[in-house]
Amino acid sequence: MTVATEFIPATSEDKPAHSPIDVSSKAFWAQTSEQRDQRFAQLRAQDPVSWQRPVEDAVAPDPHDPGYWAVVKHADIVKVSRDSKTYISGQGVLFDLLPPEFLEMSQSFLAMDAPKHDYLRKLISSAFTPRRIQRIDEQIKVAAREVVDGFAGNPAGEIEFASECAQKLPVRLFCDMFGVPDELREQTARCAADIVSWADSEALAGRTPAQIQLGAAETLHGIAARLIADRRANPADDLFTNLVQAEVDGQHLTDAEIGAFFVLLSVAGTDTTKHTSSLTVKAMTDFPEQRDWLRADYDGRIKTALEEFVRFASPVMTFRRTAVVETELGGKRIIPGDKVVLFYPSGNRDADVFADPECFDLSRDPNPHLGFGGGGTHFCLGNQLAKGALRALFSELLTRLPDFEAGEPDLLGTNFMRGVKRLPFRFTPER
Amino acid sequence: MRIVVDRDKCTGLGMCEAEAPDLFEVQDDGSLKVLNEQPGDGQREEAEAAVMSCPTEALTLVED
Repeated sequence: MTVATEFIPATSEDKPAHSPIDVSSKAFWAQTSEQRDQRFAQLRAQDPVSWQRPVEDAVAPDPHDPGYWAVVKHADIVKVSRDSKTYISGQGVLFDLLPPEFLEMSQSFLAMDAPKHDYLRKLISSAFTPRRIQRIDEQIKVAAREVVDGFAGNPAGEIEFASECAQKLPVRLFCDMFGVPDELREQTARCAADIVSWADSEALAGRTPAQIQLGAAETLHGIAARLIADRRANPADDLFTNLVQAEVDGQHLTDAEIGAFFVLLSVAGTDTTKHTSSLTVKAMTDFPEQRDWLRADYDGRIKTALEEFVRFASPVMTFRRTAVVETELGGKRIIPGDKVVLFYPSGNRDADVFADPECFDLSRDPNPHLGFGGGGTHFCLGNQLAKGALRALFSELLTRLPDFEAGEPDLLGTNFMRGVKRLPFRFTPER
Repeated sequence: MRIVVDRDKCTGLGMCEAEAPDLFEVQDDGSLKVLNEQPGDGQREEAEAAVMSCPTEALTLVED
């Protein structure tokens, strides 16, 4: 197996002019997902693999960055995702340009290639298989019930859904699996949310993006350090103990490696499901007949419907790869060092794959959405857990508060996560 | 019909296990165990669904 050990720099050699259909501007990412898709639709039709100027207002701008290839068609996103020998992750996976010290603290195996990626991922992957998630199904159901218990009787019949419901369930499940004690859970959740909020002016509250990210990553490393010390002394039946005991080539993982692992999973395991459930209660408000269809046979229909929850929400909007061998994509010549950015929400609205892509259609089947990635070795490890959590949460909501109505979401300003900061949510209180 | 696993491609995600729990089981070390390498025609549909579901294209069905 060949491993690229040397960094291959990007070059502007033989590149066309930057595309006039621009997806790098700050203004573009300040729009709603529906507005952005109009431009993605233009690219899908006219220039499916377009050469774009560097992302505007990068956190850590690179004066030598020549730009990137924007990949917006479903088939091309799948092709790049599944060919990790041509398109590697080891030279970075985020669309925005972020400070290297932050990336080192937060990305772990997400930004690695085989064989180290495969080794680190397998340290925990068996805890996320369908059989193992099914084994904790009862625990997931109890957690979902208790989260909804927390507000269902609220006499006002109104809550802020993102913080009072959507975030609570995935945070609890993540912390249970990793063995994060109760007193550290709120802090863990807040830092995980901060990590993806670097481009949101409200979340920044006067801090720079680098400050908010490094601060949150350092706090999470601090929490990890406490857990590492504790599990070394008192091994337990949780994933943190797996990490502490693991050996790679006869060596234990360092505290910094375990810390980065924890940062990656705390974000991946909490934020994505939070936003998906918020965006789904909104979609069920906008498409009431879909909610009725699902309620008519929840157990029989939820498996199919879950895929549409994820396609429609598309919470993760971008990831990047870097080409390390010359290849061709969408008629364009891609050379080593070229950055290639995958726009998952665009692939999820590709009319070549999805009929009436802008419709929330819970009976859509097959539904080969890209919400968990386009396949390949980086495909979402937690997909079964996410689906288990959504299945349990919506069972509670649709049974106990079936007339709920979501208002307009307040969205996170970012080019990474389609995040919901706040979402008004009204319902007839339980008596 | 025979199930062939490309071990270099398999990441032990278990999407196959969700589609065909009688045919596949991911072990605690992350490796994939094929419970029945030569399923009968009665299991063809689930075997095919498992092959289709694999995000790393690690599974193939070979007709002997």
